[in-house]
Amino acid sequence: MTALSDVSLTVAKGETIAIVGENGAGKTTLVRHANGLLKPTKGSVLVDGVDTRKTTTATLSRKVGIAFQNPDHQLFSESVESEVSFALRNFGFAEDLVSRRLDWALNFFGLEQYRKSSPLVLSGGEKKRLTLACILAWDPDVVVLDEPTVGQDSIQKEKLAQIFRMLKSTGKTIIIVSHDVEFLWPIQPRLVVMSSGKVVADGEISKIMADRGLLEAARVTQPQLLRLYSELRSRPPSPFLDVDDARDWVSGSRARQEAR
Amino acid sequence: MSTTTSPGEKNILVSIEGLSFRYPDSQRPAVKDVSLEIGEGEVVLLAGQSGCGKSTLLRCVNGLIPHMYPGDYRGSVSVGGLKVAETPMSMLSQRVGLLFQNPENQIFMFSVERDVAFGLQNLSVPREEMRSRVDEAMRLLGVSDLALRAPHELSDGQKQRTALAGVMAMRPRLIILDEPTSLLDPKTALEVVSLIERLNRELGITFIVVEHRLELLIPIADRLVVMDGGSKVMDGVPRDVLADARVEAYGVSVPPISRLYNALSKEGVRLPKVPETPEEMAEELNGL
Amino acid sequence: MFWLTGGFVFKRVVSPFNKLDPRVRLLVALEFFVLSLLASTISAVALVLLAILLVAAVAKSLRRIGRTVAFSGLFAVFIFAVNLLFGLGLLVAILYSFRFLAIVSSTSVFFVTTSPDELEQIMKWMRVPRDVVFAFVTAVRFIPVVMLDAFQIMDAQKSRGLEFEKGSIVRRVRNLIPILIPLVVNSVIRSGELAEAMESRAYGSTPKPTSLYGMRLMWYDVAVVVGSLLLSSAATLYIYHLVSFQV
Repeated sequence: MTALSDVSLTVAKGETIAIVGENGAGKTTLVRHANGLLKPTKGSVLVDGVDTRKTTTATLSRKVGIAFQNPDHQLFSESVESEVSFALRNFGFAEDLVSRRLDWALNFFGLEQYRKSSPLVLSGGEKKRLTLACILAWDPDVVVLDEPTVGQDSIQKEKLAQIFRMLKSTGKTIIIVSHDVEFLWPIQPRLVVMSSGKVVADGEISKIMADRGLLEAARVTQPQLLRLYSELRSRPPSPFLDVDDARDWVSGSRARQEAR
Repeated sequence: MSTTTSPGEKNILVSIEGLSFRYPDSQRPAVKDVSLEIGEGEVVLLAGQSGCGKSTLLRCVNGLIPHMYPGDYRGSVSVGGLKVAETPMSMLSQRVGLLFQNPENQIFMFSVERDVAFGLQNLSVPREEMRSRVDEAMRLLGVSDLALRAPHELSDGQKQRTALAGVMAMRPRLIILDEPTSLLDPKTALEVVSLIERLNRELGITFIVVEHRLELLIPIADRLVVMDGGSKVMDGVPRDVLADARVEAYGVSVPPISRLYNALSKEGVRLPKVPETPEEMAEELNGL
Repeated sequence: MFWLTGGFVFKRVVSPFNKLDPRVRLLVALEFFVLSLLASTISAVALVLLAILLVAAVAKSLRRIGRTVAFSGLFAVFIFAVNLLFGLGLLVAILYSFRFLAIVSSTSVFFVTTSPDELEQIMKWMRVPRDVVFAFVTAVRFIPVVMLDAFQIMDAQKSRGLEFEKGSIVRRVRNLIPILIPLVVNSVIRSGELAEAMESRAYGSTPKPTSLYGMRLMWYDVAVVVGSLLLSSAATLYIYHLVSFQV
């Protein structure tokens, strides 16, 4: 049984793409090729020009950091400090660089107060941030987030959105695998829709998400603001990206109405 | 959605009075002085940020607290007239069922039908009765043709339905679900939700659902209860609760449409009705 | 790995052998097991092995069991070599390696045709305590899940630069820690969740739970029991030259 069929995809440096589709569509299988965890049976995967079959996962991971969904599948050290340093040491960073990157990561992710604590006593949201800290510590060019918002409440999701904005501003190439369309919509990434191991759509998120038939077949839901936009009789040229956008337009159009 | 009786006329199924609970190794109570009444046939949505006490509250209702998790327990919880703290799990499990978040970790047996029978075995139900109750439960949840499948051969949605069938076989009057859809993709989540709606409508089963993805449950919920720091802070009809601006401060993942309604209200744009879906809101906006 | 374990994992198949009461299958497997140990000549062991493979064929699981036997052939060769080394003679060496194959295949025949649910029934019938039975069934049920966990953990750690293939023995063992700790932690968390689910479905309310299926001996079960015991006894007597047949 093939998990992936004839998939072709190019991601440019600094691009943000989101891969959506139901569970089992092949999204996670696909991204595992990005750092060589899986090697293709047919075709090839090139990361920065290097064929993944000609090198190791350890080498590729230096450039491509994958943040897996379940933090409990990763955390094992006696302290948060050694947890974050783990990858840095594996990649052969010099000790002073390890300590600088560690300081930066703990600081940025708000985990400094837990430096000496065991990773296992952190809350769910903190563990998620810790796994991101572990990966960003080695500053990969490409960051892959596998279902980053599953099980998170709104406050945790807001923090994730902040982290995402930071990553984008530093020019990282970001690949998000998610079925949380509400989280993805304001980000407006390039959208890749997968279904049964194939890529069924690849392009602008507003265009693709407006195609109800396609979404239905791929079992993907439409974001609420887009659903609202498509039902409005009078509306702006392009769909609302977030609540503030929508509010501004609605109150703006009321004002225009009253002015007439 | 209960349609026949108004809230005042309903039989009270769950009565929580002044409940406080503190885990033994904790300084602060996880649940603080919570009082709540739930009528027969209601679908109650329980929301709040991580750590607000919702999971603890659920376990106080189905009996895991205090029977499996003893601690500093004050106040009382009654379900169907039975005092939870004084009733053994063997009886409570026939009134209240609890479905957990991870479909994997609530299926014990090697085949669907034997797992559905699990609770009945523990209650020493005789074989013939067990057979018919298992068949009935599997039929209700649409897993009859999966009866002989092993759990690792099931999809997540199928696992969740199998677990729910196992709960249904106990014939509870109340079913509690602890974030039942968080590990499912949106379409499968919608299927679980419509299952809940059907069981509520056809069999009158009362539901308490803890959920972050409110937009899935709002269309079928009679009530939305918000918890924060162990206390109940909001309780009412979902439309009204979501229209109250405080709800975002409590870390509840308010769906974009409800946030938009609140944002517009602040600007002085009043819609005739609080919309529950984008389509409803579009209708109202088109009418303005 | 798959080849070795394939012969011990239950596969749902419709066959005359599978139709038998699980206790009868256990008896047949035990008879083969004992005969393999008693058989003192190469031809005798070969006959036992042949009989086992015949039953495997009847159980429509010849391929699976055959594969495991073939794979265990490697161990059999090892046993053969060791025996030769210890100067026990060529014939003895062959005998012992064949015996090993017969033992492996007799156990395999039982496990391939008996589901964990049936194993549970047998254990209950043998009056094994309820909690032990439950622990066993749950353990088997979660084997694929724990294996999947292990693979996902390995993937996560490989993605952090952990390399399993490299380094000294000491280093390789140390590299198992980032795999074992999350595995253990996950298992502990899983046990906690299972315990809650069990309690919520009244586990422990009675020391004698009822069950959905019972075991009842049918005429063919009795026939197989009697027939196989007769054959086994005849074989045993023959082996010990207490009775000789014109063969």
